[in-house]
Amino acid sequence: MRSHAGAPPSRRRFLALSAGGAVAGAAALSGCALQVAGAADSGGGGDSITVMVNEGDITDDQIKQAQKELGIRIIRVKYDVTRLIAMLTAGRPPELVRGVGATDAPYFAARGVAENLDPYFAKSTVLEVDDLDPVNDLWRWDGKAQGKGPRYGMAKDFSQDSMYWYNTALFDQKSVAYPSATEPITYEEWLEKAEQLTQRKGGQTRVFGGSYNGVGLTVNLAALTAAAGGNLFTDDYATIDFSSPEARKALTWYVDYAKTGVGPSLINPNPDTWDGPTYMANRMAMSNSGYWLGGMINGDEKVAKVSRLAPAPRFAGGPRISACQAGTGFWMPKKAHNKQAAWRVFEWFFGQGPAKDRATGGWGIPTLRSLRPLMPRQKDYQKQVVAVQEAELKHFSVVSFTPYAKVEALDAVINLIIPAAMRGQMSIGTLIDRLNDKTNEEMKRGKELVS
Amino acid sequence: MTADQLAAVAGRPGHARGADRARPARRQTSVATRQHRAFYMFTAPWIAGFLLLTIGPMAFALWLSLTTFDGISPNWHWIGLANYRELLSDSVTWGALGRTGLFAVTSVPLSIVAGLALAVLVNRPIKARGIFRTLLYLPAVVPPVGAGLIFKQLFDTNSGATNGVLDIFGINAVAWLSDPYARYVLLMTVLWGAGNVMIISLAGLQDIPRELHEAARVDGASAWRTFRSVTVPLLSPVLLFQAVTGVIASVQTVMPLLLASQPPPGGVTSVPQSNYLYMMHVFAEYFAYGRFGYASALLWVLFVLILIVTGLIFKTTSGVVFYNVDPEAKK
Repeated sequence: MRSHAGAPPSRRRFLALSAGGAVAGAAALSGCALQVAGAADSGGGGDSITVMVNEGDITDDQIKQAQKELGIRIIRVKYDVTRLIAMLTAGRPPELVRGVGATDAPYFAARGVAENLDPYFAKSTVLEVDDLDPVNDLWRWDGKAQGKGPRYGMAKDFSQDSMYWYNTALFDQKSVAYPSATEPITYEEWLEKAEQLTQRKGGQTRVFGGSYNGVGLTVNLAALTAAAGGNLFTDDYATIDFSSPEARKALTWYVDYAKTGVGPSLINPNPDTWDGPTYMANRMAMSNSGYWLGGMINGDEKVAKVSRLAPAPRFAGGPRISACQAGTGFWMPKKAHNKQAAWRVFEWFFGQGPAKDRATGGWGIPTLRSLRPLMPRQKDYQKQVVAVQEAELKHFSVVSFTPYAKVEALDAVINLIIPAAMRGQMSIGTLIDRLNDKTNEEMKRGKELVS
Repeated sequence: MTADQLAAVAGRPGHARGADRARPARRQTSVATRQHRAFYMFTAPWIAGFLLLTIGPMAFALWLSLTTFDGISPNWHWIGLANYRELLSDSVTWGALGRTGLFAVTSVPLSIVAGLALAVLVNRPIKARGIFRTLLYLPAVVPPVGAGLIFKQLFDTNSGATNGVLDIFGINAVAWLSDPYARYVLLMTVLWGAGNVMIISLAGLQDIPRELHEAARVDGASAWRTFRSVTVPLLSPVLLFQAVTGVIASVQTVMPLLLASQPPPGGVTSVPQSNYLYMMHVFAEYFAYGRFGYASALLWVLFVLILIVTGLIFKTTSGVVFYNVDPEAKK
């Protein structure tokens, strides 16, 4: 049947037209998307690049500054891994993407989506390899392990996240001795102190004795295992072994920490959602947030005056290590379209104006050695913090992470299983067996997708 | 009538009577065409949107559910029905589904009964009725994010007002946001929003002819009997509507669960086990595990389950739902 002018369109023809319209609409929408991302190819007003970050990573002022100093327009899109995947799949990724070096670097490098930045570093006069702090090794991946091989990104600032802040006023209230500024206490001692410092009333915790959650559960457990002298992962990073004596020690300690209720955990969540506000409200005596929290602490002189930074604890008989659990920074997707402009912004962000601003604010240790003198040390309490931090840098170590699973996936598995053990409803032995089963199932699936 | 005569009446060209009749017929077609065009023109954006934003993604999700696609890894491939087979043997999925079913059969009747009770109360001729209606409806207007945060603060173990009140009576703090209490907090969030159900029930109550209640009273029926035998049957289409939409909404519950959980790095799966409902599982599979294929299979199964449950509700209630339809209007 042929339709003709003037006749009402049949339902079939109408649906066909609608489908055509939908396709045209989709094309128009993708055209819009192309226009946004395509702006990175320069649109008459100089270069522009798309940067996928959280709002605080690059401020509006910095975007204006970049336009003025570099002549590059930065289009900021909110970091969202689903959106990133969509953009990567469509072949129009952002030019720079926020990432957590400790966990994201091996994941993206192993999948071949991240650009090898070695040739860029080799030519740069702003970011010289000799000037890079060892923390940037978190962004290296040699195809097997983290810490060696080509560079796939760079950290914007960092902390040694097993170090902890403590509030001397809350220590004084409970007559608990301050920890040493030079010699680390043991994890067992840390837990004892936390119990002594915890203030409770009617079953409610008014002051947490200490928080020891780190940047995330898996990466925290990996760091704790390393502190016990082992590795949470097997040599090829293809499996996890919670049953090794070191991992067992780490896990048992963390479960005990949760059981005592001295700090926030999965069974005792913090309504503030992270340590910062609780610590600032004098409701947390110790927090293993590392130097990075200093940016917040420096903002309130009352709290800053009673705050001290202490070295990362060690397990009795274990090695002294002090890892960075995050090393948040940027990486460049291999399929990025405007790589030269992206690298120029990369250099500026990590080595020029914004990097200097971050260093002076106390929000993390600068990732260029040459910027370290900018760390705040005018006041007495700042001098103490910088002295402890500088001494701790000697013990920095990279705790490698697996490329075969997203850290969120491993966190998810542990989150589902561990609460029962924290409530005393599951033995450590059963917990280990279940964690090994489920995490390795996840790792196996990941390995199949990569290799 | 001969064949020629029939042809003449039908309007063969050149025939005077036929030509006369053809003109109004063309005019009729023209009006009908315009109406058709207008209809299709005005509905086209919706149809295009439906195809683009609903059917398209659903078909894409169906395709994804047959793969190991995770968005980034290079070696993803087609696996046929393997995701669906895995789903059948996945104890976490079954656990989440069971909890979701339990949540639906608890929360939906509770919210319908609470909403109806409130509607009956504010339908009475009391003073300041409008204010009460507004106050009871207000929680339903609060955005879910705000409501979630309020509940999180209220029920926090260490600083929440709820435990503060318990403390006054010498009762020890309760970890409301952890197992096994978290499920009760979730139910409370549902009941807190019962104003929504109340408004719809109130509209239904006001639609019931007053004469029927008066007739029941004249016949000596008690208030309870009147409610049971007059109000509820006449309200049954409204209650059915609420049951169906309530079940669909409850199995898709995700926002209160996310808001009551630890934020990242605790992540989406830090919700207490008792609140780890089906959509939470889907959310985790997508965003924590990055298993787009498996999560899509979960969603397709949920879609089919919703269709089945909705069909069952319609089938089992057909004998007890009374539609107040004007018999003349049917003709």
